[in-house]
Amino acid sequence: MKLFKYSFLSLVLCLAIVSCKKDEPIPTTTVTNDGPTPYVIQIPKFFPTILNIPADNPMTVEGIELGRYLFYDGRLTGKVDTLMSCATCHHIDKSFENGIGYGYGVTGIQTPHVMLPMINLVFNSSGYFWNGKISASNPNEHNRTLEDVVYLGLTAPHELHSDSVSCKNAIQNIPMYPPMFKKAFGSDVVTFKNIAKAIAQFVRTLISADSKFDRYLRGEAQLNASELKGYMIFNTEKGDCFHCHGTVLFTTNQFYNNATDSVFNDPRDRFAITGDPKDHGAYKATTLRNIELTGPYMRDGRFATLDQVINHYSEGLVWSPYVHPLMKKINDGGIQLTPTEKADLKAFLHTLMDSTFITNPAFKNPF
Amino acid sequence: MKNLSIISLFFIGLLFASCDKETPLPDPQPQPSNTGSIVFKFAHNVNGLALVKDSMMYTNTAGNKYEINEIKYFISDVILHNANGTYYSISNTDKHYVDNDIASTLTWNVGDNIPEGSYDSITFTFGITMAKNISNMFVNAPEIYMAWPEPLGGGYHYLMMNGKWEKAVDTINNFNFHIGIGQTYDGLGNIIGFVDNAFKVKLPASAFSISTSQTRVIQIVMNIESWFNSPIVWDFNIQGENIMQSQSAMSDACKNGADAFSIGYIN
Repeated sequence: MKLFKYSFLSLVLCLAIVSCKKDEPIPTTTVTNDGPTPYVIQIPKFFPTILNIPADNPMTVEGIELGRYLFYDGRLTGKVDTLMSCATCHHIDKSFENGIGYGYGVTGIQTPHVMLPMINLVFNSSGYFWNGKISASNPNEHNRTLEDVVYLGLTAPHELHSDSVSCKNAIQNIPMYPPMFKKAFGSDVVTFKNIAKAIAQFVRTLISADSKFDRYLRGEAQLNASELKGYMIFNTEKGDCFHCHGTVLFTTNQFYNNATDSVFNDPRDRFAITGDPKDHGAYKATTLRNIELTGPYMRDGRFATLDQVINHYSEGLVWSPYVHPLMKKINDGGIQLTPTEKADLKAFLHTLMDSTFITNPAFKNPF
Repeated sequence: MKNLSIISLFFIGLLFASCDKETPLPDPQPQPSNTGSIVFKFAHNVNGLALVKDSMMYTNTAGNKYEINEIKYFISDVILHNANGTYYSISNTDKHYVDNDIASTLTWNVGDNIPEGSYDSITFTFGITMAKNISNMFVNAPEIYMAWPEPLGGGYHYLMMNGKWEKAVDTINNFNFHIGIGQTYDGLGNIIGFVDNAFKVKLPASAFSISTSQTRVIQIVMNIESWFNSPIVWDFNIQGENIMQSQSAMSDACKNGADAFSIGYIN
C-alpha cells in the first residue's frame, strides 16, 4: 500500500482526474422491471457448494459491476488529498495482494499484518483476516461479513481512513454512480452500506480455479517429473502440507501455530479471538493458490521467498507449547527435505499459479 | 518413493475393495407404518471420566503420558439388529462426522422412521468402507477437511486424533493418530496396493425398544484410552507418532478401536 502525502500537487491531480472522469460513459447493464439481474456463481468442480453470501446482499450482475468500479475508483474516500482505492493495494497481478508485505494507509500507518490474497473468499466461512476476527460467530454484528471487511478497509486508519459521510457524498456526486446504484439497489441515493455491499459482491466473484494443477486434474495438462514428485511430497507424510493446505482451496481456512516463534505478544493472533491458550501464535493457513505472487510470507512477511518458507518447514521450526500438533516434526526442527526435494516441492507450488485469474477481464480496472 | 499413476492406484484399490467385501446381511424387514425416531449423542471420555483436552494428564498402558487436542472421525452404516436376524439400516444419512470441537456434530438426528419394536444390538462401521469412501464426495466444511490424500488411497480420514505426549522428561512430541485407507509397499517404498481399514463396531449393551412416535436418545461414548491399551499395548515409541503411512500401526489401532465405543445411556 502506498503512502499518499499531503501536497498541493496531489490536490490538483485529484481534482483533474475527478473532472476528467465526469464524462465517462456509464457502463451498460441489463435492467428488468423486476430489479437487478441475479448472478449465479459458477462453482468449479469439487469446490464448496456452501457460499458465504449474506441473505441481505444477494449477488447481482449490476451489483458486481458497480462493485468493480468502486473497487478501482480512487475517488472513493471522498478525501481531496488522496486517490487511494482498494486496488491501490489489491493488485490483480498479485492475486489481489500487494506483493510487498505490509500495507500503509493513507496517513502512512502500517497495517498490523501483511496482506492476505483475495482468492476464493466466497468459499470461506471460517472467518476473514489472519485471526478470523470477521466471522459469523463474532458477537459484534458489525464484524461478521465480507461487507464488514470492506467497511473496515474504507475507514481504518491503516487503510483508506475515510468515513461514511465522505465516501457516500463523494460517490453520490460523481454522475456515473447514482444510476448504477439505482440499477443495483433500486435507489440512486448512495449509501455507505450499499457501497460496501457492491464491493463485497465484486470480491466474491474473484474465484481462482484454473491453475496448471487444476488443468492436470481435469486431464488438460500434464505435470512434469519434478512437479509430480513435489505433489507426492505435498500429499504424503514426507511433507505433510495437505493437512493445513489441502482441498481444492489449498487451505482449510483454519488457524494453526506453525512453529515460527517461541514468544507470543501479537494482540491480533487467534488467541485474541478465542481466548483459548492453545491459540497463542496461531494464524490462518493461507491459500497456496498463486502463492508465487503473494510474498513476502507469514503474517509478518518474515520470509521473502518460497525457498525461505520451505526451509522453515524443513529445518527451521521453533518449539513452543502452543505449536499445533499437526507440526509433527517439531522436535526434529522440521520435515528435513533434501535440496532436490525442496526444489520438487517448490515446482509443485508453482503449478498452483493461475494466470487465467490474474488476467480475467472481469476482474480488471474498468476505467 | 516413486510415483504410481493415479489410474493404476485406483484399479489396485478396487481390487482390494472387492477382496474385502463382506457377506451380505439378510434382507431387511419390511417397514411397518408405526415408527419412532432416534437421536444419537456422542461423548468422549478417558476410562469413564469426561475427556479433558489440552492437558498432559493421561498415561496409557505403555506408560506414555499424553494429552488430546483434537478428535474427529466418521461413523457409517449404522444398523439396528433384531434378535430374529432381521435388521434396520439407517439410511437417511449413512455417514456421520463427529468433531469434539463442533457441538452440532455431537448430536445426530438420523432422520429415519425407525420401525417400532425391540432391537437387541446396534452396530456401525468405524470410518467409511472403501467402496463408499469416495474422494470429493464432501465438498463443504467441516467434512472436507478430513480428506485423505489421493496418493495414500484417497477418500477421507476415518479418525484424526491429534495430541502431544511426553517422550522424555522435558521432551514433548506431537502425535497424529490418524486412520484411513492403508497402503502396502514394495521393498523400494513404492505403493503397490491399498487396504480397507474400516471396521465394524458392535456396541455392547445396546438393546432397546422403540414404540410409535417415540424418540430414543442414545449416547455413544468413545473411551480414548481404549485406542491405546488392548489388545495391542500402544507405545508411541514403537507404533509411532504419525501412522498414516504405516499399515501395521493402523491395523493395530483398528484392533484396539473395536472396543473403544460403548453406550452411555438410552433414553
